[in-house]
Amino acid sequence: MNERQILIVEDDPQIRNFIQYTLKREGYSSLTAGTAQGAMSILVRERVDVVLLDLGLPDYDGLEVIHKLRQWWDGGILVVSARDQDREKAAALDAGADDYLTKPFSATELMARLRVTIRHLGRSSGTPQSCVLRTGQLTMDLDKRLVTLEGQPIHLTPMEYNLLQLLFRNLGKVLTTKTILNEIYGVGYGTDTQALRTLTAALRRRIEKTPAVPQYLITEIGVGYRLADLG
Amino acid sequence: MGWLKKGKGLAITLGLTGTATALGLLFGEWQLHEANVVVLYILAVLLTARYTTGYVWGLVGGVLSVLLFNWFFTEPVSTLKVTDPSYLLTFLIMAITAVTTSTLTSRVKDSARRAQEKEQQTATMYRLTNLLSDAEDMDSIASIITQTVSDSFQCLAACLCFDQQGKAEKTYIQQKDEHAQIRRELREDLSRQMYALHQECSQGEEFYDWPIYGRSNILGVVRIPRETARNLTESNRKMLHAILETAAIAMDRLWISLAERQTREAVERERYRSNLLRSISHDLRTPLTGIMGMSEMLMDSLPEGENTYTMAADIYRDAEHILSLVQNILNLTRLQEGKLRLQRQMEPLEEVVGSAVAAISKRYPGRKVDITMPENLLMVPMDPRLIDQVLVNLLDNAQRHTPQDKELGIAVEEKGNFVQVRVYDRGCGIKPQDLPHIFEAFYTEKSACADAGSGVGLGLAICQSIVQAHGGTIIGQNRAGGGAEFIFTLPLEVEESE
Repeated sequence: MNERQILIVEDDPQIRNFIQYTLKREGYSSLTAGTAQGAMSILVRERVDVVLLDLGLPDYDGLEVIHKLRQWWDGGILVVSARDQDREKAAALDAGADDYLTKPFSATELMARLRVTIRHLGRSSGTPQSCVLRTGQLTMDLDKRLVTLEGQPIHLTPMEYNLLQLLFRNLGKVLTTKTILNEIYGVGYGTDTQALRTLTAALRRRIEKTPAVPQYLITEIGVGYRLADLG
Repeated sequence: MGWLKKGKGLAITLGLTGTATALGLLFGEWQLHEANVVVLYILAVLLTARYTTGYVWGLVGGVLSVLLFNWFFTEPVSTLKVTDPSYLLTFLIMAITAVTTSTLTSRVKDSARRAQEKEQQTATMYRLTNLLSDAEDMDSIASIITQTVSDSFQCLAACLCFDQQGKAEKTYIQQKDEHAQIRRELREDLSRQMYALHQECSQGEEFYDWPIYGRSNILGVVRIPRETARNLTESNRKMLHAILETAAIAMDRLWISLAERQTREAVERERYRSNLLRSISHDLRTPLTGIMGMSEMLMDSLPEGENTYTMAADIYRDAEHILSLVQNILNLTRLQEGKLRLQRQMEPLEEVVGSAVAAISKRYPGRKVDITMPENLLMVPMDPRLIDQVLVNLLDNAQRHTPQDKELGIAVEEKGNFVQVRVYDRGCGIKPQDLPHIFEAFYTEKSACADAGSGVGLGLAICQSIVQAHGGTIIGQNRAGGGAEFIFTLPLEVEESE
């Protein structure tokens, strides 16, 4: 049912097998490459929807690969990295990667991230697919500028509304602090992370039952935020 | 010295004028004209001025010549009287000529000597600069300076260096003879004396000491034997100061390049270390991803309750255990080297608490964690990744010691200028004999609960290191009514001194 083709770029053969098996089970077809150069040569020849890119490749730095890829290729890039590399993750996302997975990840996580990446394929974050957006019990009607939680309308300040709209348009996808700041406040306010922290905290108090255990607005420590896709 | 010089001058003056007189008498025998004798005397005065120092002997020679000419060659001979008054004119001209010649000659000689001295100094300074620019350490600089000063002033000089902190070295270099130097122990009292040394030279009983001053502080001391130092001429002193200046520049340059090298090496080491840590973390996690992913998949494909399912589940749990161990070891390595630079920024504590609780819920599905947070947003200066690790470690620890149905929670409270985080449980508590050791690395409980699982023995040590690095405190204790609690604090304000 899925004719999506995934390219796995990973130098460890066991991980490659694991991912390949998982994808096969879920009905995706996949190609593999052990190096960045191998990946490039496959990408010019084959049709690939999403690249699963390990940041620790033997031949090229992961960030460099993303930069290069993004010059001519607009498929999905899902970065796979070890923990402790928050900066690298954020940099990879800012360089054009769509999302990331932290090693070790489970098959479930892999598939969830992959689905989100595929859904956002070929669609820039600025064009919503419909006027009523929904995740779990949270809905957002862009025409009426109305946000409801469990059917009850909730009031948001313009800034909170903008933030929620941005997150909705990237439902399920992680957004780096930098991206959010640029989108919400405009380029140039890129370093005022504290304003964003306050804003997300305020938004959480409106949409979450327990702000400390958020259901919707998930913090990716050191990287950014994600609006959970609860269907 | 002075006497010898005077004797020599007198001898030359007497000798030359005497010779002139003798030759004049001989000329008289040969019936030569008196004018020749006058010229002879003038020549004698010239030579006197040339071969004696100063112009005094030239003048003495001049006067003497007039007297001798008068005595031996003018009528009446053998008296200082003259019959022919025209001789008075001769005497006058002779005297003027003699004085002029002698002053001129001595002046020419003086400037020649000065030029020579200057040339020598220039050559010395040139050689010194050359040698110093090749010097690669303080010892060789000290040695070169000692040699140069000793050679320039014909003495046995010494040079003591100070280190970068402005402390005197324990030994100094001393010229032993013309070609050899030795290294001597610096006596305690001398060392003290050196510190008292200020801008100018200090005059001791055996030595005079000159400090070498760099841009900011004292770099060394040059000592010259008292006898030599006292007899230094003005130009000698100038020369010495030039040498000291050059030495200061060379020493400053050396310290700067040393400091540069140290910084470069430190940066290099730091890069190497973080590369190593990164590759360890990558290389260990990659296979763990495979193990965990594939055992998870096995679990999915096997009916629960079967032996093979349990095995797959055990593989998964063990791999997860190794993973947390790897994480803890990496953090501990960084922290214990004191090198961990906190990437501290204002973060909402609730986000970090939320993230830690989410991680625990994922690790132990079904585990309920009570959360008590203050209503208002609490922004705390911290490294969120590390505080997350502290919370995960504490929660994980509590979970392992607490039955599924018993209370486990986390409570955050703002207390003046710090925030207090309490992780509490109703588990089996901490045994009294373990209490003093719980924060020690690699300490595992002597008597843990039956099903507490394997203690990592690192988790709490890391918590302590991280909290302390943030300027906070952490304690662990038993609760009244059973169970344990760990309480840590984080300051809400940080001095920007770091």
